[in-house]
Amino acid sequence: MNTPICLKSDGGKLEISLPALSQMLKFRQNRCWKSEAGGVLMGRYIRESLDVVIDDVTIPMRGDRRKRFNFFRDRDRHQRAINQAWQESDGTTHYLGEWHTHPEKVPIPSPSDRANWNRHLQQDIFSGDTLFFIIVGTESIGIWEGHLKNPIHILIGEFNYSHFNTR
Amino acid sequence: MANIQTQMQQFHEAIKLKRFEENKTLREKRDIVLERLKSGLNKLFGSETPPSYEYFNQGSYEMGTGIKPLDSDYDIDVGLHFNISKEDYPDPVEIKKWVYDSLENHTKKVEIRRPCVTVFYQKEGEPIYHVDLAIYVNGNNDTMYLAKGHRESAKEHQIWEEADPHGLSDLIKNRFEDSEDAKQFRRTIRYLKRWKDIKFSSDGHAAPIGIGITVAAYEWFILKSSITDSFSSKKEYDDLEALGCFVRAMICRFQPKCVEGTWYDRLAVQLPVVPHSDLFEKMGDCQMTSFKEKLEKLSEAIQEAQEKVDPIEACKLLQEQFGDDFPIPSPSSTGKKRSPAIISSSSSA
Repeated sequence: MNTPICLKSDGGKLEISLPALSQMLKFRQNRCWKSEAGGVLMGRYIRESLDVVIDDVTIPMRGDRRKRFNFFRDRDRHQRAINQAWQESDGTTHYLGEWHTHPEKVPIPSPSDRANWNRHLQQDIFSGDTLFFIIVGTESIGIWEGHLKNPIHILIGEFNYSHFNTR
Repeated sequence: MANIQTQMQQFHEAIKLKRFEENKTLREKRDIVLERLKSGLNKLFGSETPPSYEYFNQGSYEMGTGIKPLDSDYDIDVGLHFNISKEDYPDPVEIKKWVYDSLENHTKKVEIRRPCVTVFYQKEGEPIYHVDLAIYVNGNNDTMYLAKGHRESAKEHQIWEEADPHGLSDLIKNRFEDSEDAKQFRRTIRYLKRWKDIKFSSDGHAAPIGIGITVAAYEWFILKSSITDSFSSKKEYDDLEALGCFVRAMICRFQPKCVEGTWYDRLAVQLPVVPHSDLFEKMGDCQMTSFKEKLEKLSEAIQEAQEKVDPIEACKLLQEQFGDDFPIPSPSSTGKKRSPAIISSSSSA
């Protein structure tokens, strides 16, 4: 199975690991009763490179509110997961951004998604100056890069799910 | 592309055997055999003086391309150069018998083999090392001849074969002038030799011989490094790229050959000194086909590993090819340390 690899704006690469990807795909809204889901992205800034690997994601937890067309993620439990991963990895597993699902084939961020991403870029405290945002559609996944000093999020990867089953 | 030069070098440290003179244990074993040979020859010749000889190290230890064996059966390659002429001793097996008779009963098993006399050492029934003594005599004009054949061989296989063991060692040792470049050359040979030990049965001629791999590298290996600091001209070596290029260079030199209506691809690697023989000639056609297929799988695995972003995933692919001595780094050793993050709540639609 191929893992998605995207080219970042700084020339480095972003890879979504298999465990992180399959965790997100479980929440695909491919049935009308499935509500939106989401969580945070966690992973490594690879040494001696500009590369980033998303190793793990959090999934909806108690305190989150899930609806067909929106998702509210509570802060505390996801923050605890981030702290735990950071501690257990000796300070090498980091918060890298967030993900959520959309009930559409090819996901497009809504204006409120973009506003929410900008809020994260401004309000969250994180290392580096970029965050990644993933939307899981019913047939493909989209990956955007957001920059602290640039309100426009760049689409850096879009993968149809058939891409992952070629091997 | 994942940078796994650190893991490549760790792997090399795990598999490499130091040069003979740096390896005390093996040197001591060699010296015991040589002592025994000296007293054995004296006894054998009685009141006469046995012919004088010099010994020298040969083989992979001498060339700096030795690797640790998987089964812990170390081999020690020693050349014995007798100061006699092949014209006076037309039968090579006679000289081999001198050596055999001198060493017989030294260990449980001493054997005259086609290219050498071998002394086997065992510990609790398991082989722990063996000493291969290759026997040379003089020809005309500084040439050396190797004693080939064993007692039961047909007469046409009991021959003096011209050889140049010193010339071969020198060519390999002096292939690259720069000592760091030479190290990448030797590392690449060692990587492929360990791959061979992992992927091929050691029975018969199933596996390509080590010296064949070494000479193939002598011919086709290309250095892969980049200058990272133009001021100090410090080089950064990329062993995985060098290995991948070398493997592809070998694959593309296989030549089709027709045997009884069936086509086989064969790789010939010619010894760069006399007798200029093909070092892979003993491999059967099917063994050759399997050699090529395995090289192709290795080449694919290397390319796939190079495409990986995560060094852990790249190393997992390579461990399948090179065995458990190839290290897989821990996640925390591959990630940069940074301060913890604080997030806000989130609302998406």
